This record gives sequence, C-alpha cells and structure tokens, in this order.
Amino acid sequence: MSNIPENLKYTKTHEWIEVQDDYTGICGITDHAQEMLTDIVFVELPEVGIEVKSGEQIAVVESVKAVSDVYAPVSGRITEVNKTLEDSPDLLNSDPYGKGWIFKIDIKVKHELDELMDAAQYAEHVASGV
Amino acid sequence: MTAQRTFLYDDHIKLGGKMVEFAGWELPVMYSSIIDEHMAVREKAGLFDVSHMGEIVVKGRGAGAALQKLIPTDMGRLEKGKSMYTCFLNDTGGVIDDLFIFMLSVNEYYLVVNAATTQRDVEWLTQHCKTNVSIQDVSAATAKIDLQGPQSFNILKKIIRDDRLENLKRFHFFTGAYKGEPVLISQTGYTGEFGYELFCINNVASRLWNDLLEAGKEYGIKPVGLGARDTLRLEACYSLYGHELNDTITPVEGGIGFVVSAQSEYIARDIIENQKTHGAPRQIICLEMLGKAIPRSEYKVLYNNQDIGYITSGGYSPVFKKGIAMALVTSGVVSVGDEVAIVIRDKTSPAKVVQRPLYKYSGKRL
Repeated sequence: MSNIPENLKYTKTHEWIEVQDDYTGICGITDHAQEMLTDIVFVELPEVGIEVKSGEQIAVVESVKAVSDVYAPVSGRITEVNKTLEDSPDLLNSDPYGKGWIFKIDIKVKHELDELMDAAQYAEHVASGV
Repeated sequence: MTAQRTFLYDDHIKLGGKMVEFAGWELPVMYSSIIDEHMAVREKAGLFDVSHMGEIVVKGRGAGAALQKLIPTDMGRLEKGKSMYTCFLNDTGGVIDDLFIFMLSVNEYYLVVNAATTQRDVEWLTQHCKTNVSIQDVSAATAKIDLQGPQSFNILKKIIRDDRLENLKRFHFFTGAYKGEPVLISQTGYTGEFGYELFCINNVASRLWNDLLEAGKEYGIKPVGLGARDTLRLEACYSLYGHELNDTITPVEGGIGFVVSAQSEYIARDIIENQKTHGAPRQIICLEMLGKAIPRSEYKVLYNNQDIGYITSGGYSPVFKKGIAMALVTSGVVSVGDEVAIVIRDKTSPAKVVQRPLYKYSGKRL
C-alpha cells in the first residue's frame, strides 16, 4: 500500500497539494503515481508566473517507459518550481511528498480545495484502480 | 478479444510483474525497475519470457529453395545448427516481418517471427510455398525463454549439462535436453549482450524458468520485463518491427541493409538491389540528446528548420544516462556529428547524430 499522508488534499489524477496558509499550496505527484511510473528520468516544469486553471496540464513527468501529464489541482499563479528536479528527477521516486515537490501555487479560488479528496477518499480512489 | 497468457503467467504474478498487454499477450512490462533490470542484463544476467513470439516450421524437399524466394539473404549462409537474421519482403520491397531462420536440416527450417505478425507470416508462406513444402505454426505449443548477460553461460551450464554448450558460437544452436524434454538452445539474443534463447514445450517452461532463476541467484540474475527488453535493444540499435521496419520501409531504409546478400531471385529483388547500389530515399540514423529531454516514437526531426523525418524508437538509456533514439530521415541530409532538433511538445530539443550502434555487442562472457 502506498503512502497517503493525512494532511494533504488529492486529485483523481494523482497530484497532491499541501495548503501552507490560506493562499499558498505546494504540489507534487503522489506516492502511488510514482510507484506506477517507477524510474522517473525527466521532469518538465511549468514557468514561474503563469496563471493556470484547475485541471489544466501544467508539467510533464517521464519515466523510462511513459510520458505522464501533471495537472494543476486548483486555479492560481505558479510562484516557484523545484529546479532540483531537473538534475535529480529521481527525487520524485524517493521522496514524492518532500524533496520531490514540483511547484508552488498562489491559490486563486479557495473553494476549489473543497472539491479535492482527503486522504481517506484518495485511498479509496487508488484501491478502485482508476 | 482478451489477451493471451503465456505458461509463465503465474510465475510473473508471483514475482510481482506489472502486467500489460502487448501484441495480444499479457506480459510483464517490469518486475521492479526497468533501469535495474536493464543493468542486470548489461552486468550480470536477466531472464525474459518471450513466449509470445511465433515459431513456424518449414519442412520438405523444396523448403530451402522456397524460403530463398522470400528473403534477400543468401540461404547458403546457413548450415545445420546455424541461424541467421533476415526479413520477408512484399512486392514493393517493404518488410512483412523480420525473423530468424534456424536450419535444423537441409530440408527443415525453424522460423522465429514477431507475435503480431505470425498469422500473416504463415499466410505469406502458405501462399508462396509449393506442395512439397509443409508449413506448421508451432507457436501455441512453444515457450521461449531468453537468458541474456555476461553470466548467462555460468547459469545455463548448471541446468543443461551438455558438452556442446561451452563452445557454442554466436548464431549457432543445438537441441539439448531438460527434464527429458528437448530444448533448442541458441547463442543469440536481442539485448546487445552475450546470451541464449531457449525454446521448449509449454509444460516445462515454468520449471525451466524457476530453475534458471534459482541457478542464477549467486550470479545476480533478475527477471526482466518488456520495458528493459526495449531499452536494451534500443541501445544496441536493433530494429523493432512496427517501428524501424514495416510494410512501407525497405530493409535498406530500415538500417538492416546487411541482410541483403542473395544472388538468386527473390521478391522485390530489383528494388532492393537498386537501393543497395544507389541508395534508398530514407535512412535510419542514431541520435543522442544533448539536453535532458527524452525522444519518443513519432516525434519529428528537424535539420535547419526543415522536417527531415521522425523518431522510430526513442527513450532513456540507462547506460548512457540520456535520451537516445533511432530516426527515419531523408537520406544524405545529415551525417554523424551533425546537430538536429527534435520536436517535443511543440518545443525543440537538440540532438546529435551518432555512430550506429550506440551500444556495441562485445560478447563479454564472465
């Protein structure tokens, strides 16, 4: 069973967001997502400053075998990206909720957070195999 | 249609194989990590279930002559106990399939073909072979296990005690015995490493597979999925049917011009001979990415902003730790050392044309 921290919110497309204060979120892909991909060898980061809508494709994660899109969990503006991933994409495998974070976002529409899953719901979602 | 399962399906599940559908078969794409499995084959040994592949026996007094008409390779290169790589050609010189022909005797040949094309190969053979030749598709009864990597000999000799193994040369084979059942043991492979391809009947496959894993434990053997099979053959620049080769790509274009050696008549000979002498419109080139981006199949290749072709196979190389690819491009535009651009998600990434193969077969045996 993959690791699903209690303090995060999750998307159906296997991203997580940690809400730091009312307006800032840190995002990445879940432990389950990295397990499915394995051997992540390339990350294409979004540009800092761009405005995105929730559900919009924003980054790309590539494993040896597959290309996988990463979507914005909420609408907002990208404030920071994890440049370390460009040289060490494997951090997404080894520490998906820590050093493997992908971007920070200024949350624009706060109630969008309510539409995301909590840990228990996401565990169920993973178990359903979608 | 549901995917077929090989006789090793339960073993793959036990080993934690991540199953995917490939050419109508349910096979493991990986067990633990494509990179780890890839490196195990390069440095130690790996075991592959490739039972999905097709095997066809062509037999009869006219078998050799009939096969010669279908391939551009000189059948005279074969002798009993030897195999060769070749391809079937359609009337326009396109490749119907690439295959290995094993000569069992002067009147009996064992053909190893791709899974997705087996049916078509059988039809093609039936259509072109006369009454004194019999064609038998033995795929369904046959399991194929590949043991590849520098430790392969040390592992196999523990299971198959046969004096012929020690000095078996590349592209040679013999029929040995395992648990009283015949096993065709061939010193060939699809990884760029020393190793063997083993053909046996289905009901001994699981025992042979598990015995090899057990015997290979002390040598660091790993079961290897289709993911690493693809990255290994890509580094070695071996063609994959449906990518570098297909109905509309000739062997000369597809980078296997070395198979063209027959002096006698065969289907599409004029076209192939002409391309061999005067060049083909397109050619396969090998590429190494200069940045971190990963080239994938069907991405466009640009040279001086001109579209010159597309990636046929691409991916991440665990040995070189960068993106590598083969591409089908207009002939004569670029040569080794030139820089091209690969279009990846509407942006371009630079790549360098390099010598083929990227990873050279050394035959290293520990």
